[in-house]
Parts: sequence; structure tokens; C-alpha cells
Amino acid sequence: MKGKLKRYGSLLIALTMLIAVLAACGGNSGNKEGASSPSASPSASDSASSPSAGGDSDKPDTSKKVELVWYLLGDPHKDTDKVIAELNKNLEKDLNTTIKLNFTTWTEWQTKYNLMLTTGEKIDMIFASTWADYFKYAKKGSFLPLDDLLPKYAPVTWSKVPEQDWTEAKVVASGSDKAQIFAVPATYPEYTPDGFVYRDDWRQELGLPEIKDLDSIEAYLDGVKKAKPKVTPINGKAFNEMLALFRATHQYENVGSGDGNLMVAKYSNPRDIVAYPFTPEFEAWAKKMKEWADKGYWNSDTLNSQKEAGDAIKAGNGAVYWRNAPGAGGYIVGVGQTNPDIKLGYFPFNRLYGYATPNLSVNNAMAIPKSAANPERSLMVLDKIRNDPKYFDLFVYGIEGTHYSIADDGKTLVSPPKGMTVTQDWKRYDIASWGVRVESMVREKQGSGWEGFDALLEEFKGMSKPNIFAGITLDYEPVKANKAAVDQVFEQYGKPLMLGLVKDVDKSIATFRDKLTKAGYEKVLEYTKTEANKYFDEKGIQ
Amino acid sequence: MRIKTEKSTVAFNTIGYIVLTFLTVICLIPFWVVLTGSVTPELEIINEGFKLWPNELTFEAYRSMMTNPGVIVRAYEVSIVLTVTGTALSLFLTAMAGYVLSRKDFKYRNGFSFYIYFTLLFSGGLIPWYILIVKDLQMKDSYMALLLPFLVSAWNIILMKGFMKSIPEDINESAKIDGAGDFTIFIKLILPLSTPGLATIGLFVALQYWNEWFLANLFITTADKYPLQFLLYRTLASAEALKTNIALSLNADTKPPSETLKMAAAVVATGPIVFLYPFVQRFFVKGLLIGSVKG
Repeated sequence: MKGKLKRYGSLLIALTMLIAVLAACGGNSGNKEGASSPSASPSASDSASSPSAGGDSDKPDTSKKVELVWYLLGDPHKDTDKVIAELNKNLEKDLNTTIKLNFTTWTEWQTKYNLMLTTGEKIDMIFASTWADYFKYAKKGSFLPLDDLLPKYAPVTWSKVPEQDWTEAKVVASGSDKAQIFAVPATYPEYTPDGFVYRDDWRQELGLPEIKDLDSIEAYLDGVKKAKPKVTPINGKAFNEMLALFRATHQYENVGSGDGNLMVAKYSNPRDIVAYPFTPEFEAWAKKMKEWADKGYWNSDTLNSQKEAGDAIKAGNGAVYWRNAPGAGGYIVGVGQTNPDIKLGYFPFNRLYGYATPNLSVNNAMAIPKSAANPERSLMVLDKIRNDPKYFDLFVYGIEGTHYSIADDGKTLVSPPKGMTVTQDWKRYDIASWGVRVESMVREKQGSGWEGFDALLEEFKGMSKPNIFAGITLDYEPVKANKAAVDQVFEQYGKPLMLGLVKDVDKSIATFRDKLTKAGYEKVLEYTKTEANKYFDEKGIQ
Repeated sequence: MRIKTEKSTVAFNTIGYIVLTFLTVICLIPFWVVLTGSVTPELEIINEGFKLWPNELTFEAYRSMMTNPGVIVRAYEVSIVLTVTGTALSLFLTAMAGYVLSRKDFKYRNGFSFYIYFTLLFSGGLIPWYILIVKDLQMKDSYMALLLPFLVSAWNIILMKGFMKSIPEDINESAKIDGAGDFTIFIKLILPLSTPGLATIGLFVALQYWNEWFLANLFITTADKYPLQFLLYRTLASAEALKTNIALSLNADTKPPSETLKMAAAVVATGPIVFLYPFVQRFFVKGLLIGSVKG
């Protein structure tokens, strides 16, 4: 009898173990798989999206105490908890709500972001952006449509955000027939055109012409290379530099994304999409690049180089660095602190083609996942943060006196705060609050406070044209194999051509084109055209 | 009487020593470069690449990693406690499972073995697993999410079963005659006899717990609960993110030295676990052999 009992006992242990094993094993092998399983769509908890019942129609009901879970990209500041505790004190008083602010950190954030949105985790608000695949997730139905909720729960935001910005946030989700708003865009016009950071002190010292077009760029590169043999003008990865310059010189706008995207169109005629390797412009460009490479404007190992050309400028053996305008501002300010003897200039490429397109409004935005438990409360909090200076300053800049102070003009941010001596490791309160920024509330200047940036911004605003290409979202699903093959061919034959690292340009171009044709670039082009035309029709662009 | 060493033996030994020294140096150089890389100024690396002897010594990378030493110490605590408890629990459970499955008098052992083996071949994948932990088990931001997933692995159980099989069945019988129960037999006899197996699997598991960052990345949101590896990886990822265009708005003056930082992180992260090898090595080699032959 006793033996039998024992045996059942061991059986029981074995069973318990097996359950644990099963739970664990999924995990062990799960890690290694990618995170792209589009099939797993979120369990739509629509019950949550209905506005809280009761209460009169213009004053939302806040009688229930709610804790919201918000997610931002990036890293928290070490004082974030303190700041949020302070924020919660106010929120609790005003809206009977507290928020728990979580961060994805930069480690594998795409995987994490994808999991959070596809598994239906309870999140009440999350940062969304074109570069974090806003359009893809909106199309897949991961976000909650906000059209009906906004006027009621975020009335100030609803009335203040320009119509154009809402339009840019609209997406036709799969299974729906009308475009809906899936995110509240930040109201913060940004221009991020490509350009070159260059050594203005060297240019003046060597008597080289002002940089204003391709010829003067060449003259600068040439002058620096000749006068300073130890310097390699683009000392590091030069690919981005030359690709951006190529596109800018020929006014080619990207239709699609990624290094290997070959489909371009001109702004004046957006429906005329071509694959640029087959244009005569590319032939001429490849020849010029060969010349430049032979003259040593960059090193022959540039394609494998892991070096940032910007680091070489600081080290004194580089002269050109590719940055977009705000990035250049940050870089120039940074160099000014570490190497005050270096004087840098910036040349935005859109001077080559005479217009600037602002980023889409949803370049930074806040969205509500479909599984959110309290979407209406989230919107109310967002409305507060965006429009009440007390909330905005606290959320974006931290606690006054500890993290910042306000200059005498009553507007400008001083950080570290006035009268406070800080150690070398002091960090300003700087969380990824991009999704809630409102231009009229923001206290610091774009471009990290680089003094040249304001003039640049005025210049961009003066030649601004609406961004008609960024909204085209391509997932290449129907032409996946061709796209992969084309990317591969570009990697192998296109990049060396773009940097002049070939022996015989004509022959290499012929090979490149031949391989592209075999890889089926025409199908990718066809697909791009179809999708782009669909988008242009939808938005009424000719 | 002394045995005279032949000339050929001397020559053989000399060559052997030279070759081995050479190989050892080759093995050690990468470690050395990591070590020196972590104390070279960032600019020197950018200009001249990694070198065996830096011109200048700087501890900037360590300083920028340790700006908040409390955080690192805390992360060490988490990692060490996690590794120790995880390994102990995991060994206990794996050994029990392996033992039961190796007993011939357990009627359903083949069925159960297959059931366990099956999970090695097929799994639900990342998304169901994530849903299980976050929604069903409610373990988001809990230490359990770091501990549980690696506690029992099918592979380790099968390996353990192989070890246990090599212990003669007669021991059970003789112990039973002396009046020992199943659990006593397991604790008093089987466990001590399977030290090589335990050491091998223990090392696997300990390494896995020590090196783990992915679980923390997915499930942990409170900085206090970060294990060491994730903390370091996060530091590196932020340094990299600061270089990209994504981080337009991040401040330029907070940019840490990223090349040397990588090296310093490697030193800090591998430091303690490297010392684990020499101590368990002798079990390790023997253990692997036994496993491979009889498993």
C-alpha cells in the first residue's frame, strides 16, 4: 500500500515537472526565432474602446481611479520615477489618474515593440512613428481608431492640431473602407534634409570657394586632399554621403526605403518612377565617383569601414560628414565642446534642388494600442500634457530647479539650472518625449541649440513643399523574393559603383544592370508603381 | 638509476613547447586586446585602431559605465542571485526528471520521454510564449520571468537521463532492502553518484542564467531588476543609438565613448564567469564524455 502511494507520488512530481518543462521549452527555442509573425493579430478587446458609460456628454466621467501604462522608446533618465511621481500627484487631483511610464530601451526595441503590439498586451498609450512602422501597425489594426474619441476626450488637441497633420496620420486599416486617425501627431514641424558637415576653417585657410553646388563640393574635397595629404576627406563609411549627394544632385526622391531601394521619382512628376541604375545620370555619376575615389577622397576600405566619418573630423584627419540638419546641429555643438578649435560649416543638399519637405506629422506621435483598457483616460492625460504648460514642462523637462530653470525671458530653458554646479556626469532630463511635443510649448531650440539652425529652419520653411513620398508604405510582400535578390545585387555590384571602387566603370555598369534584370527588378518597380499610384490617387496627388 | 633522455625526445619536447606557447599566445591576444582596448582613449582607437600597447592610459570607459556604481552593484546582485538560485533549482528539477525517466520500473517512461523530446523539435514560437508569460502568468516585470523560462529544459533532461542510466540499477535494490524510500535513494545515492552530470549541466545552466539578457529585455521594466548583462547591453545600445539619426533630439554632450565602452563592458561582464571554468573543468570533461557515450 505504502509503495503504491509512493509511486503515485513520484508520478505526480513527474507531471508537475512536465508542465514546467512545457512552459519553459517554448521559451528556450522561442528566443532564436525572429519576431515577425504577422499572423498573430491582437485579440481585439473592443469592449474597452467604448467610452465610459454615464456622466453628461461634455464632461467625461473620471470617478473611477485609473492607472495607465504608457510606453516610450529609448531610455529613461535616472530621475524619471521622481518626475512621474510628481506628475501623478497633479494628475490624480485633476483627472483621478496616474500613469506608469515604461521605456523600451534601445536594445532590440523593434522586437519588443512588435511583441507588445501584436500580443494584445495591456498598454494605454505608446509612442508611434513612421520610423517605428506606424503605417504598418495601423494597417494591421494594432492601434485604436481615434476619430470618435478625440473631439470628446482631447478637445484642445483636436482643435489645435492643423488639419493637414491629422490627414497625414490617417490610414486605411485592413478590413476597413475609410481612412481613420490612429495616432495623435506631435505638433512640431521638422525638416531633416541630408547635407554635409565640413571644416569651414580649412576651407577659408585654403582659400576654397563657398560651398553652394556640386562643383564647389568637389573643389573643397580636392583642395583639402591636396593641401593636407594626411587627411582623407570622408574618413570612414562614405556610402551614405555619396548616395545622398547623388539623389540630391539629380533631384531623385526615394520611393520606398532602405539602402538598396533603387526606385526614385522627381517631385515635379511623382508618378514617373524609375530605377536609377538604368538612367544615363547614374552612368555619369559612376564615372565621376571613380574619379573621386582615385583621387583619394575616401579610403578603398570604405565599404567595410565601421568608422564614423564624424569621429575622424574630431581626430583631425577627416573633413566631411553626412548628417541631416538637426543631427548636424547636435554634432556641431558636440564638436564645439570637445574640440573648440575646429570650425564647422553645414551645407544642406536641398540648396541643390531648391525645395524642402517637412517630415510627416506622424514622424513623432502617440498612439493607443487596440488592447488599451482606458483609451479615453489616456487621451485626457495627453490633452493635459500637450496643452497645460505645467504638465508639459514637468513631463518633458523634469522638475524645475533640479533639472532646469527658466531664463529671464520667461521662455528659454537653462539646463543645468542656474546657480547649480554639476559634476561631469550630470545629464539633463532628456527622455524620449518626442511624441508629445508642441511647437508653442517647447522651450529649447531644434538642432541642440546650434546657433546656425534658426536661419536654416527659416530657409527650409521658405521653400517648403508638402511631403508626398513619405506616406507611401511598401512591405514588398508580393515581390519578396525579387526584392531580396535586388538588394543582394545592389550590395554586391551597386555599392562599389556608387563609390567608384571598380576597375572599368562601363563594364561594371553593364554587369550591374544585367544582374538587376535577372534578379527581377522590373517586378519590384512594377509593385512600387502600383502602390505609389494607389497612394497618389487616395491623396489626390498628380 | 636515471633513465637517459633520448635526443629525439628533447627535440620533440622543445618543438612541442614552442608550438604550444605560440598557440597559447594566439589564444590570449584577443583577451589582451579587449583589456587594453578598454583603457585606450577613444580617439586613439579611431585614429590608429586597436593596439597591443596603448600610448596613453585612460579609464574613461569604465568611468562612464560606472557613473552610477550603485546600479552596477545592484545588477551584479540580481545576476548572481539569479544564477545561483536558478542553477540550484534547475539542477534539482532536471535531476529528478532525469532519474525518474531512467528508472526501468517507471511504466510510462517512454511516453513521457517522447513528450519531452517533442518540445525540442516543435515549439509555439515567440508570440505565444510572450502571451503566456505576460498575459496568462502575469509575470511582466517580475523576477519570475527571469527565473522560470530556463528552469527546466528538455535537452538537459534528456542529457541527465543519459547520465542516470549509467548508474547500476542494483544500487536501488540494495538500498531498498536496507529500507530506503525512493526519495532517500535519490538524494543520498543517486545525486552523489551523478556529480559529473550535475557539473556539466550545472555549468550549462549557470552560463545561460549569467548570460541572459533577452528575457530582461522583454519583460523587465524596472531598472532595479535588470541583470548585469542586460544593463551592459543597454548601455552599449544607447551609445549606438546616440550615433544614429533616430536620436536627433538626444543631447550631444552625453555621448559616451562607444568603442572603448564595448571593451570595458566585455571585461566587466565576463570577469566573474571566466573563473567558473577552471573550477568545474575537471568534472566538465569527464561529464561530457559520459554523456556522449551513454546518452
